[in-house]
Amino acid sequence: MSGRTTFGMIDAWERVTARIRLSQDVSIPGMLHAAVVRSTIPHGRLRRIETSGAWTVPGVVAVVTAADLARIPNLRPVYGPQIEDQPVLAHERVRYVGDMVALVAAENARAAREAAARVVVEYDPLPAVFDPIEALRPDAPLIHELRPEEPHRGHAVYFGLRPIFGTNCCNHFRLYTGDIERGFAEADLVLEETFRVPAAQHVAMEPHAALAYWEDGRLVVISGTQTPFNTRQILAQLFGLAPEQVRVIVPPMGGSFGSKVFPRIEPQVAVLAYLTGRPVKLVLDRYEEFVTLTRHATVVTIRLGLTRDGRITAKRVQAYWSTGAYADCGPDVARKGGFGSVGPYRIPHVAVDSYCVYTNLPPAGAFRGYAVTEVVWASERMMDIAADALGLDPLEFRLRNLLHDGEQFATGETLHDVHFRECLEAVARALHWEQGSRARSPEGRLRAKGLAVVMKGMTTPSRSEARVGVDRAGRVTVYSSTVELGQGARTVLAQLAAEPLEIPYTTVRVVDPDTDRTPFDNRTTSSRSTYMMGNAVRQAAEALARRLRELAAERLEAAPEDLELLPGAVCVRGVPERCVSWGELVTATGSDELQEHAVFRNEGGLDPETGHGIASSHWHQGAAGAEVEVDPETGQVRILRLHAAVYAGRVVNQLTAALQNEGSMIMGLGSALFEELVYDEGQPLTTNLSDYLIPSFLDLPVTLSHDLLECPGAEVHGLGETALPPVPAAIGNAVARAIGACLTELPLTPERVLRALRATRQEAS
Amino acid sequence: MTAVGTERRVIRVVVNGVPYEREVEARLLLSDFLRHELGLTGTHVGCEHGVCGACTVLFDGEPVRSCLFLAVQADGHAIETVEGLAPSESELHPLQLAFWEKHGLQCGYCTPGMLMVLKAFLAEHPNPTEEEIREAISGNLCRCTGYQNIVEAALSAAQLMRQS
Repeated sequence: MSGRTTFGMIDAWERVTARIRLSQDVSIPGMLHAAVVRSTIPHGRLRRIETSGAWTVPGVVAVVTAADLARIPNLRPVYGPQIEDQPVLAHERVRYVGDMVALVAAENARAAREAAARVVVEYDPLPAVFDPIEALRPDAPLIHELRPEEPHRGHAVYFGLRPIFGTNCCNHFRLYTGDIERGFAEADLVLEETFRVPAAQHVAMEPHAALAYWEDGRLVVISGTQTPFNTRQILAQLFGLAPEQVRVIVPPMGGSFGSKVFPRIEPQVAVLAYLTGRPVKLVLDRYEEFVTLTRHATVVTIRLGLTRDGRITAKRVQAYWSTGAYADCGPDVARKGGFGSVGPYRIPHVAVDSYCVYTNLPPAGAFRGYAVTEVVWASERMMDIAADALGLDPLEFRLRNLLHDGEQFATGETLHDVHFRECLEAVARALHWEQGSRARSPEGRLRAKGLAVVMKGMTTPSRSEARVGVDRAGRVTVYSSTVELGQGARTVLAQLAAEPLEIPYTTVRVVDPDTDRTPFDNRTTSSRSTYMMGNAVRQAAEALARRLRELAAERLEAAPEDLELLPGAVCVRGVPERCVSWGELVTATGSDELQEHAVFRNEGGLDPETGHGIASSHWHQGAAGAEVEVDPETGQVRILRLHAAVYAGRVVNQLTAALQNEGSMIMGLGSALFEELVYDEGQPLTTNLSDYLIPSFLDLPVTLSHDLLECPGAEVHGLGETALPPVPAAIGNAVARAIGACLTELPLTPERVLRALRATRQEAS
Repeated sequence: MTAVGTERRVIRVVVNGVPYEREVEARLLLSDFLRHELGLTGTHVGCEHGVCGACTVLFDGEPVRSCLFLAVQADGHAIETVEGLAPSESELHPLQLAFWEKHGLQCGYCTPGMLMVLKAFLAEHPNPTEEEIREAISGNLCRCTGYQNIVEAALSAAQLMRQS
């Protein structure tokens, strides 16, 4: 960072004083508080809902079941971003433990919760299924009945959706390149292994919070969401309104990590607000967080064809994604995980089948790393297994097969700005890989190193729009629908607006996303905002700077090229007395604010039959490495060193970028060592922060470090999550090397490590 | 029959130096009292059962998890929340300054709890080692950052506070 300007967060003051008003802190006079009655069984028919007990609680204003929704004219009480399969409230059937059955609105949150607990629901249980492979068997209970004539396509499905009708598969992604059989025939060695990653939860520290009210027939929702425009569209469709009749306002959030992507509780508060005629707010508790959205439990089988000299001839991938009771964006997760499973390698023959499968578990959707953590665990563990089988160093084996600039990925797209090699080499340097992948171990401990590389796509195609304005006081404002969830979006967008206007970034105001005031943006996901929205903001700010020069040129009777932009004024170069302030220029136009608007798009898409096309308009690239120490008596894994290298292209803000890297790595460490949602016949057993562990101070590696790789003239690459997916695989590779055992399943709990050690010893004896 | 804890009690409590007298239900949590009765929303509730530390406040100077305390237990005691840290509207406490300057936060949800734990800790350990700091805040969870800057911020705050 030496020699560079550092840019602190523009809203740090609000955060350290806790004056920041997060989604959960929003309140409106006269508002009611909501609570949810949830299913206690994983699959069943609703026999009876008895609400009379709830009404005995003082302060209860409404108790709403699916039957009551008929009182809302034009309501289509089902929604979903990619498949419209989720009822606002369960009717006839519940599909997982936690499914929403009834809603209560009361004068205070305590009364609402107490009343919800007094609603009695009777069920007739149905057979349930929890494993994505079992759920695909012909005799598995069907969780939804998707039919070709009623595909229930949601508006946010931007790719060819391929359900397998008559099964629980709601999307089957295929990517076929070359001739897979020929690829295996050409191999000297064929290896196959199956890998598993469990469901996980985001554990954003702030829970989901939303408030809704109706105003002159318009619906207003104030919600912590990463998807203001998707949420607006989905709510409009639900209520039979034009999108403009719905307004979504997004305050800053206390973290999200994908959990607040697409509507989660907004339809429910909107319904309650309609039926009560009052504003209604819902804040989930920690238990509810665990049954609201998860990361997909995944099973991935990889078959790899190899030549003796360490080339990959063929790769066959079968991936099964347990998307839970409702598809959410699972179809896209299976798709992105599908092409992501190939990895950044030159492989002439590829066949990927990736299945998104309904199960009777909480819905799974977006999670930082978005499908890539799961497939990198499988693919990069497989690379180490293959290197061992070939007797090659794992780094050398990877370097031999890495894609280079200008080469084609399995989708047929040509890769540019390729830096996988630098990422891996940076990691190898940090780990002192040249001294070998096995480290000298202290007495009674086993030490080793491991590494992994990642390529991750960005949502393609997509669009971001921004407006930058200057008012009569000369104050600059950015209007953008990128949400602030702690990643520092406001800061980075303020910087990018300030640059062309040559003003201090701390003077730029960035307004909260509000679909009435801020222009369209796809969503704040897939590490796209700094690149996509950043470009839109920069272009709008450049246009504003040009406009100010033009107006000043007229006013000062000078040629635009003789003018210079100063903070708040335009002056004739070298003649400081010939100046005009921005405020004067704006006032002269007669408007309150002079605004410029810009649109930035990325283009591409894949053929739904072959998986060929442009998967991502540019690629996030990174690598991670770990040195671990295993106690063979207890199976305990200690991380001595964790290093990640991420290709940033150009870093906009060193501080926030570094935090994104470090946070991603530690979240990856949690996935590697202990994060796992456990269910017993569909009953969640890990529903609080005592049973579901996330990393604390005491779990940190002895040394944590990272690199942000830059390239002169390169475009900005997002890095909100790139450092996460390679971490579990790097740690897994290190642990497997340390104990000389094959590890295929996350997390690497002491029990699992001990079992693997024991299995290896039995084999050996 | 009244439900358990629904009887009401009058409590007198001093929060951030301001005396309050309020009638509350016996079962009301201190965290809910602060957030909903007094509108002090800076105290954040993360896990609701004493694990994450986000809701930490000072109770007669000692850090406690306000989600594990009842409001009636605060009767006759002094509570300090994050809102009471800064000496004025335009100034920051050295801990707040250090968290800002060292960038010891992202979303800021865990920050109030970190600040309150550290305030009590640094009062007793004005010159702590990095190890001691890690131990002191090991009961506070942060999901955004990798914790590195939080430790740096704490060290920097200790230095600022020694100088002042």
